Amino acid sequence: MISVKKVNNRPLNLLERIYLWEIARGISVTTRHFFVNLFFPKNILTVPYPEKTIPLPGNALFRTRHRLKIRSDGSPKCVACFMCQTACPARCIRIEAAEYAENTVEKYPAVFDIDLSRCVMCGMCVEACPEDAIAMDTGELPGGALARPGMKMTKETLLRNIPGTGDPSAKGAANRLADEYSGGLE
Amino acid sequence: MPTITIDGKSVEVEKGTTLLAAAQKLGVYIPRYCYHPKLSVSGNCRMCLVEVEKAPKLVTACSTEAAEGMIVRTASDKVKAARRDVLEYLLINHPLDCPICDQAGECGLQDYYMEYSLARSRFKMADKARRQKRRAVGPHLVLDNERCILCTRCVRFCSEVTRTSELEVMERADHSYIDLKEGKALDNGYSLNIADNCPVGAFTSRDFRFKQRVWFLKKTPTVCLGCATGCLMEAHHNENTIYRLMPSPNAETNTWLCDHGRLTYKAVRAGDRLTKGVIKNGLIDLEPALREAGARIDEARGAVAVLGSPWLSVEDNAALARLAKDSVKTENYCFDFASEPGIKDGILINKDPAPNTSGTGLVKTAHGGLSLEELSRRIAAGQIKVVLAEARAAGLLKDTLKAAAPLLVIFAANKGEIPAGTYATLPYASYFETPGTFVNYQGLRRRTAPPVEAPEGVKPLWAVVNKLAAYSGASLQLDSAEDALKGIVFK
Repeated sequence: MISVKKVNNRPLNLLERIYLWEIARGISVTTRHFFVNLFFPKNILTVPYPEKTIPLPGNALFRTRHRLKIRSDGSPKCVACFMCQTACPARCIRIEAAEYAENTVEKYPAVFDIDLSRCVMCGMCVEACPEDAIAMDTGELPGGALARPGMKMTKETLLRNIPGTGDPSAKGAANRLADEYSGGLE
Repeated sequence: MPTITIDGKSVEVEKGTTLLAAAQKLGVYIPRYCYHPKLSVSGNCRMCLVEVEKAPKLVTACSTEAAEGMIVRTASDKVKAARRDVLEYLLINHPLDCPICDQAGECGLQDYYMEYSLARSRFKMADKARRQKRRAVGPHLVLDNERCILCTRCVRFCSEVTRTSELEVMERADHSYIDLKEGKALDNGYSLNIADNCPVGAFTSRDFRFKQRVWFLKKTPTVCLGCATGCLMEAHHNENTIYRLMPSPNAETNTWLCDHGRLTYKAVRAGDRLTKGVIKNGLIDLEPALREAGARIDEARGAVAVLGSPWLSVEDNAALARLAKDSVKTENYCFDFASEPGIKDGILINKDPAPNTSGTGLVKTAHGGLSLEELSRRIAAGQIKVVLAEARAAGLLKDTLKAAAPLLVIFAANKGEIPAGTYATLPYASYFETPGTFVNYQGLRRRTAPPVEAPEGVKPLWAVVNKLAAYSGASLQLDSAEDALKGIVFK
């Protein structure tokens, strides 16, 4: 069933049709807001982002700036499987894989870049990650930058654990090996 | 000639045809792991089980011969259930480390699981049997026993194709694992085929390891130029870089590809790749290098020799012939390369290491020229002042060139190829970057397709020759490789 809403398109009355009165009414609304905001700035709802930010509600399921999780032995949890790079619709992730000589997990990202100026914050990388290595739970909104390099996150800036989010955890098949290697947590 | 019915379609097949081959003829796909058309039948993976009417149990399609009146069902509930169970069985001890496995994306376990199973695992991670993880076996392969499903394709490949028998199944029953026999190393010149043959990620290539995920790769069919056999192959590449070469099985030449052939792509992105001309030892741009080489050729005129090369395509050899005949107008040119073609090792590698000896024969038929001995004699006699040649072909006259020391103008793709004492070197695009026609030892004409682009400023050899002609004599006015082919008749 399609619900149909009937709109009452009544014809304009004379006052509306002569137009000038309605313009004056509109300008008065704008002027009122201008003076209210000028004398009572505390009540303004917007903030001059990105110079100023307001803290996000603590329990909000927002997608915020990415991070890469770290294992208990200090190595990145990421195994460079390229799932996030494959899933990324904005093609903002660039990974180069390398091999550990000793560690049983065998593979790690030598390079892991996210270009935030391209990122659309869709969270597909987090969905795709089979190792639970990438997360968008930092609570920080990526603001603007004056130059492109400022918007690029590298492996070094991405790698961090956040206390209280269950880190370091050892989910994922390849990480099972890493975990046994580094003494075992779970 | 028995007639059998598969999934309601009847087909008449040769006596001795297996059900799997008969189904393939009808276009019915039966999943398989241990079966390979070029290896002996093993029948151990049980993935190809099909239902045959009046047979008490399901039978393996890869090892059952078709008999008159057989009625075969490949998609009945019983068969589907069997496939699901076989897959569950194969996956019981599978480590599921797909994120770090190079096979992911072209893995038999992944593909068949999605196609035929989709069942949840009933086994806990902790209960899985553990085996030895990655270790290098031989110079080209990595073996991970935990991922192995014991299909024994690798064992059969080593014992039947290369006849070197390095691999064996050790222990028995659920203790079994694949290992090298004592005192053996897996380096038989064809070992990378084992990585292709392995339906799972147990054997993976050391060269390709972690370089690229397979789903990013684009495939371009081309020809191997490692020797005169001229195997058909596929170049797998992404973003202008070749990552690996794989065989394209065909009836005429090859099912496999040798290790040497597979690694020929390395020269394309090697550190010593020439992108500029070289005069003596100094790098300069192509244009001044051409001008310098052209001036030297122009000075010497009647005493210039042009040597073709069995490593170059027919087009490029023809362009060299045109340069000698129509531009420099010398009679000292040679496209005569004797060889003794034939498969050296009974598998693929040819006695003739050059890919286009037969092709230079076609150029010789069209344009004539001296024999290699005659040219060598004239150089030794000091009649030749300037020799224009491709680097590897110049190697054929190494001693003569060293003794007589004429001015050498060399075409080379890599710095390592340049012979000592070369005066000028001109770069050209390799056949991974430009198309070229090659004629293999059987006389089959094959054309390379370029998977990648040449580095900036590097041109195909015929185009370099065309420019050189303008500096050294009459212009050739070649607009394309096909222009150079004028007068050449392919058989």
